[in-house]
Amino acid sequence: MRKHVTEADLAVYAAGDLSWWMRPLTHLHVSRCAVCKGRAEAYRADQQRIRELANELPQGLNWDRLAAEMHANIHVGLEAGECVAPRTGRRSIPAGWRMAAAMAGFTALLISAWWLNMPAAQTASLGRAMKAITHWQISRGLRFEDSGPLVEATAAGVELRENGSALAVTHGVNSKPVAVSLSVQGSARARYIDSDTGQVTITSVYAQ
Amino acid sequence: MRSRRSLPYGRGSVAIGRGSVAIGRGSVLMLLVPLIAGAQSFGQQSLDHRIDLPHDAPVSLVGDEWGGSAANVRGGAFVLDVRVSLSLRNSSQRRIHGITLAVLAQETAPGGKGSISVPSLDVAPGESFSVRGDLHLLRPISAGSRPMVEVDLDGVLFDDMTFYGPDKLHSRRTMMVWELEARRDRHYFKTLLEQAGRESLQKELVASLSRDADRPQFNVQTVRGRATNTDPEHDVQFAFLRFPEAPVEPMDGVARIAGNEARTPKLVVHNRSDRIVRYLEMGWIVRDQQGREFLAASVPAEMRLPPRSSSQILQDAALRFDPRTSIEGMTGFISSVEFMDGSFWIPSRVELDDPTLRRVVAPSPEEQRLVQIYRKKGLNAVIEELKKF
Repeated sequence: MRKHVTEADLAVYAAGDLSWWMRPLTHLHVSRCAVCKGRAEAYRADQQRIRELANELPQGLNWDRLAAEMHANIHVGLEAGECVAPRTGRRSIPAGWRMAAAMAGFTALLISAWWLNMPAAQTASLGRAMKAITHWQISRGLRFEDSGPLVEATAAGVELRENGSALAVTHGVNSKPVAVSLSVQGSARARYIDSDTGQVTITSVYAQ
Repeated sequence: MRSRRSLPYGRGSVAIGRGSVAIGRGSVLMLLVPLIAGAQSFGQQSLDHRIDLPHDAPVSLVGDEWGGSAANVRGGAFVLDVRVSLSLRNSSQRRIHGITLAVLAQETAPGGKGSISVPSLDVAPGESFSVRGDLHLLRPISAGSRPMVEVDLDGVLFDDMTFYGPDKLHSRRTMMVWELEARRDRHYFKTLLEQAGRESLQKELVASLSRDADRPQFNVQTVRGRATNTDPEHDVQFAFLRFPEAPVEPMDGVARIAGNEARTPKLVVHNRSDRIVRYLEMGWIVRDQQGREFLAASVPAEMRLPPRSSSQILQDAALRFDPRTSIEGMTGFISSVEFMDGSFWIPSRVELDDPTLRRVVAPSPEEQRLVQIYRKKGLNAVIEELKKF
């Protein structure tokens, strides 16, 4: 003989909360088993009675008195709060401004970190990309910069840059070139002079 | 001769904790502090270096110093500062007047090379001399492989104008031009001393010193075959400085200008000599909106230009200046010519005695060397130096 449905499952079944995969078998058993059917109906009757009791209001309820008691309780709570920590009258900063201040601080921190750590070549490359995007938004057309080699000659020396890599050849940390020159074929030269011996050293970088 | 070593550089570490993380004010600080300070620390990084001189090279390695080098992490990149000082001996039977060493850092700048040249040398057989250079290498951390620096001999120029070396960087051509300029300028100063006396030589050296100090400084970049400027483009014609004795005459020229960028120069030149020209270089002077002029670049061209014929030079490249610069005008001049027989032409001192050229074109390396000797040791030292040649 088949076992009856457990009390717990039967109560959940009567409330309509039994899982979908157990519901068909339970329903089949309850429809054929008089014992379980009776129990299920008893559970349903109890639920109905509880709902009716919950909907009934206490007799002689005085709404005005209830509202007054609630107001009084709120005032008591506020007074108690004043006793614990007197209010200074300081206006609280709106949440939006707090978020903006936090974002500004975080942005400043990121900019500082970038400025301290990021190589100038990468910063310049990002700047050019941002500038190009801005120009594009002004809708004058855009020619994108590719990742090909770039050769630069400055008063500080010559440098080759490509794909985030860079190569510079100088004649000492504190040496400044006396002349720099650039070739449109993708090379650059910097000329250094040894202050003691007069020996000339010319450093070059070549893109290819 | 081959020398290979590996240099260990600094050490340090960034520790990343494991386990559960409670995000609080303290935790946020713990996360942000490495952003600023933690990137200064770096992992163990070593740099391989190799010095490669052919067995029959006219120079031999006496010693090499790689001290004072450093490696750091900045942002997402390794920054390597490599200081190299080589001591070389002239193992040939001729006097060395110039040397070029190629510096290869393949992992650092793909396809890129560097070189260190020393012109205006006069090294007798058996004598030693030094070559010094600093390399600054930057590469993304993600590049993976260990950085490697290789120093090769590219060429040696002797006093009889003969050349030794693989010449992968065309150093023969550049060293020949420097040597011809050195001979021209030494001859000029010697003649000045003999014909006009010590005071005239001193006056000329002081004038050169003054021009050096007044020469405009500029920043310029070159990129091949592309441009990023969004300003409207227009054509600007070249003006030319014509040298009466030059074997090649510039006839016409134009470049596309957009704001601070000039690109795709097109030039027409005419060979008025009786010899075939195989290479020439033009100087490209740019004038900005404030009337300032500076030597922006040289335009080299490999060609085969028969006598009495013309040819067009087209370079698919762009020059980019400081963003505040607006290009208003351009001037070109022939700065060197190489003939098919390997001989060269360079402008004479008389031809270079043009107000614009004197202002913007740097003097030869030899003139700068003599001026430095004058500044450091005085006129007598310069006269003694001139007597050596």
